Amino acid sequence: MIERLYMLGYQSRLPVSLFLLLVTMMSLSGIQQLKIDTSMDSLIPADDPAKLVYQRVMGEFGTDNKTIVYIKDAALWTPEKLTSLQQLHESIEMIDGVTRVDSLFSLHSVRGEAGKIVSRPVLREAPQTEAEAISAKKSALANPLYLGNYFSDDGAVTAMIVSVKEVDENRSDFSLAFHHALEEELAKHREQFEHLTQVGPPRINAELKQSLYDDFILLGPLSAAVLVISILIFMRSWLSAMVPLLTSVMTIIWTFGLLGWLGIPINILSAMIPSLIIVIGSTEDTHMMAAYLRGLDQQTENRNREQAVRYMAKHIGLPLILTVLTTTLGFASNLFSEIGLIKDFSIAASSAMLLNGFITILLMPLMLSLFGTNSNNTPVKCVETNSVPDRIMRLFRYSQSHFPISTLVFTVMMCAFFIYQATRLYVTNDPLSYFPSDRPLIQDTKRIHEDLAGIKLFFISLESNQDHAFIRPENLEKLSDIQAFLKRQGVYDQSLSIADHLKFMNNQFRADVTFGQGLPETPQLAAQFLMLMHRGDTDSYISQDYRRANIIVRHNVTDSHTLNKYIQELEQVMGPIVGSDISYNIIGENLMVNNAAESLMTAQVKALLLLLLLIFLIMSIMFTSVKGGLIALVPAVIPIAMMFGIMGLLDIPLNPGTAMVAVIAIGIAIDGTIHLLARYNELCRHTSDFLSAVNTSVREEAAPLIISSIALSLGFGILIFSNFTIIAQFGALAAATMLFSIFANLLITPILMARIRLVGLYQICAMPVNCSVLIDSPLFQNMNEYQRRKAVLISEFREFKQGDVLVKQDTIGRDMYLILSGSAEVVREDEGEKHSIANLQPGQTFGEIGYIREAERVANVIATEDVTALRFNYERMKQDLKFFPNIVAKLNFNISYILGERLADMVGKSR
Amino acid sequence: MNKFHQQAYLYCSCMLLALSCHATSGFSFNPDTEGLEIMRVVHQRHQQFPYIYEEQSMVMEDRNGVRDTRRLKRYSRMDEDGTVQLLLLFDYPEEVRGVAILANRNAQGEIKKFLYLPGFQEKLIESKGEGSNDHFLGTDFTVEDLTGERLEDYYYARTDDIEIEGVQYAVVDVHRKLDDDEKGIKLKTHFICRDNLFITMTQHYDSQGRVERLQTQHDLRAVDGDMWRSNMILIEDKRERHQSLIKIHRRIFSRDYVPAEVFTAEWLFANFPYIEPATEETDTFFFSAVQEIDMLGGQPND
Repeated sequence: MIERLYMLGYQSRLPVSLFLLLVTMMSLSGIQQLKIDTSMDSLIPADDPAKLVYQRVMGEFGTDNKTIVYIKDAALWTPEKLTSLQQLHESIEMIDGVTRVDSLFSLHSVRGEAGKIVSRPVLREAPQTEAEAISAKKSALANPLYLGNYFSDDGAVTAMIVSVKEVDENRSDFSLAFHHALEEELAKHREQFEHLTQVGPPRINAELKQSLYDDFILLGPLSAAVLVISILIFMRSWLSAMVPLLTSVMTIIWTFGLLGWLGIPINILSAMIPSLIIVIGSTEDTHMMAAYLRGLDQQTENRNREQAVRYMAKHIGLPLILTVLTTTLGFASNLFSEIGLIKDFSIAASSAMLLNGFITILLMPLMLSLFGTNSNNTPVKCVETNSVPDRIMRLFRYSQSHFPISTLVFTVMMCAFFIYQATRLYVTNDPLSYFPSDRPLIQDTKRIHEDLAGIKLFFISLESNQDHAFIRPENLEKLSDIQAFLKRQGVYDQSLSIADHLKFMNNQFRADVTFGQGLPETPQLAAQFLMLMHRGDTDSYISQDYRRANIIVRHNVTDSHTLNKYIQELEQVMGPIVGSDISYNIIGENLMVNNAAESLMTAQVKALLLLLLLIFLIMSIMFTSVKGGLIALVPAVIPIAMMFGIMGLLDIPLNPGTAMVAVIAIGIAIDGTIHLLARYNELCRHTSDFLSAVNTSVREEAAPLIISSIALSLGFGILIFSNFTIIAQFGALAAATMLFSIFANLLITPILMARIRLVGLYQICAMPVNCSVLIDSPLFQNMNEYQRRKAVLISEFREFKQGDVLVKQDTIGRDMYLILSGSAEVVREDEGEKHSIANLQPGQTFGEIGYIREAERVANVIATEDVTALRFNYERMKQDLKFFPNIVAKLNFNISYILGERLADMVGKSR
Repeated sequence: MNKFHQQAYLYCSCMLLALSCHATSGFSFNPDTEGLEIMRVVHQRHQQFPYIYEEQSMVMEDRNGVRDTRRLKRYSRMDEDGTVQLLLLFDYPEEVRGVAILANRNAQGEIKKFLYLPGFQEKLIESKGEGSNDHFLGTDFTVEDLTGERLEDYYYARTDDIEIEGVQYAVVDVHRKLDDDEKGIKLKTHFICRDNLFITMTQHYDSQGRVERLQTQHDLRAVDGDMWRSNMILIEDKRERHQSLIKIHRRIFSRDYVPAEVFTAEWLFANFPYIEPATEETDTFFFSAVQEIDMLGGQPND
């Protein structure tokens, strides 16, 4: 069936071409419905219970979706600059969607002056004189609640905080339009200030989108170029380069079309999907092409493309499907991630891998039928050359043959070192960390953090079960205690609560109270002070019924792990501070994103273990051996250990990009292992010289494996040009992991592989043998299906042509054969005379005596027609079945039975 | 439209209906009549009584629809020398009982405001702001909203009359008056019902000319001859998305109700003495009282 699938493209070119064309056209229309999602929501698990609390707190105390306009100038407080600022303030107010602009032109200053309370805006309009400007500066800087929020300590920096209306769901470009409109206004005034910039969710969103577009434009073509060049260098075949390109382009269209139709949005991680398709998808093409070329090499004369394609289908058909599945599994392991960003990427990438496999299987034979070469002029030959793969292999072979144990010990030590380094790994999920540190956005964020408070914020929301709780002095004291603890933690820039406002008011009313020391002594006074304040100034801190209070904390902590650690510390002291009658929530979009980072790490570890388990199971079943499963894991585990170690060593954090490298890299690296083990297994069917089988399989698979790994490495390496740090880090690590996988697959795996014998289940299933032959054979009588299968798997599958001598008389051999098909004649030669002793049919055995004890063969066994047989080697059976005494006992009993029958027969004949 | 608005519009509609049958203005609206002239007539007609006592409820609704109700008494008197005195005295919620704002506008238009916070000290604290347009006590109202404009402080420009739901309005833009008596920036627009010459709606503008606040008068009543009063004033802050409603429950035009002594510190201190810092007992009492009021549906048990 597999062969038929692979031959479909070759034999039915027109229908297959039409099918591919039709689906491509449908996909193109799906692409037009694609949506882009760069929202913070995609970083937060959809079912996060904190989300509801966050929405409630936002609803009551106001949104945290604010843009900060940062203005810096040494001569800020002059009539000219302030006039320009006023114009800017007014023009920002006019921008569509702006609901509020808080700046020195809207802030109120309350001051106690000589027994009077003076309440007025910091500036209602730009001053006319220098003196007025200086007075305004004095008024602005006198309010400690504004320092850090709106003004730097020295007054050289001021901020405008722009609130915009809730995002209009009918306008997907709302955030982008607002960002551009604001940028347009800032541009008009930029020359007049030393520095004028904006930072806030709309800019982050706009830059994420822009970077996403830029990545799409840059990375795809760059990956394609690298792929073509590397394949041309290694394989020296235009077809080998063009076919992967064609399948990749088609896969990209199909994938994005599918996403469009399914309504799954693309996100920043999706920017690398075209590159992944081009790079990863090309490995299947390379392996298919290599097998096709080997197929040509197998034909000595009248080279025939169809034969070569059949050879390809027969020899790598199933392994290739398996590799597609394992790669898909690698990406799909995140399918159940709670984080939308990763889940959507996982859906997109795993669909892409599956579609690419499908397209390749259809398109490659089709292309070969049209443009396939009839001769193999590429370096992919069984003959050793001076090519890069062969040079690498010579080096590896030297190590394998001269220092196998040392190599293994060195590898173990190296892995131990990298695992130790991996213990320094930490997690971060800060959206700003997605950008490189030299990007203007990040520089601007740092600048704001240096002069004002950081742009990130979270809330400590408190709720009492008593009415009017937060005008009571003891509860206001609790707010102050929490803020004092925050200050002691030393990582936050600023915290503000209603206690600060009341302290400030109290301070202004009482000249003798220093700010920060005196809270109102009675709830009445607190309520009366609150009455005097503008509701807009306090509604972010206290609810109207005074039952709920809110502390706003601003910071610039980018490392999720650090922030979470401090939040945990805070949570530990919150209970004792607030007591039993007040409940609290520490909440913020930023925190939810951070918590998602922690769950991301746990999820990735789970996904990694699950994938390893799946691979172990698949490979164990495929090779019907636990050892086979374990060996398959070795080339997967070594590169991962090295990759995590390098991350620890180079201080690269785990983030939504880097966290996925492990599972994705395993899914890809295992492909080479599958091809290698499959080939080794195939060769083992025909030889007892396992070392030679190892060498042959490594020699044959090395070229495509090294070529595809280097191509993959280069392709992933391209991602370092991404505008997103997380993608660049993903690319660099994945590239390194691909290179590590060459080392693991071709140096370590062969050393281990030579020590075991693998038999592919699929080969047994595919054996051209009637199962009844095995069931009816006296060798397997009274054995159950499992015992029969196990015994068969330990044997070797041999094929003989008519006239071949299967056993030669007078030679010593410890092999026993079971004929599966065809027939053979037992002929004894006595002094030149040949005596036919017996005709052997399927199910019958020969060579039992040599198998039981080392003795010369008593007769020749010659194939009278083409014969397929299973060969049982005594030493091998002893070795491999030592843990299966029941099978050994039954086999020995059956051999005794056969010998006994034969003896009885001979005795009968002699009578 | 919420219940709050529905009630306001119901009152408004009823009164407009009544107005349409009650064309007693006697004032001739010529196209040439200037804004200032109209405003003079408006003032003359509706500010005839110098002594007013009102019991009011102030309902404030924030952007989330959460309401806060305060009850207060308003005392105002205009003396013969042109001095206007205004006292707003809060008596609910309990924790702000006794809080007072005392405003005094002399004949020259100078306004002085004083605060009295019983929780703070027995002391009147002068509150200085930028002028009569300052909001006070965390509401959307300014002193001027309650005392009325001094016509000499502004420049009035009449624009085209309009008709809203069958009612004719004269429209007067209020501009800042510049030093040379010229027209400055437009601050607000009055919509004056031509039938009774009552300002039923005022739009307040921000520096960009956008409507920042909308003040509407509802439940209009003819209180004496041509003089009309509204029993409900709604101010909506369009930018901050909150609103304040003043509902007048009781209004008395009588000198006896607004004796000069209520506008003094002594009267305030005597009736609303300083609240000592809480002891265990008083604290418990305070919150018990608050809870009792809440259980009675938000109405204090006088």
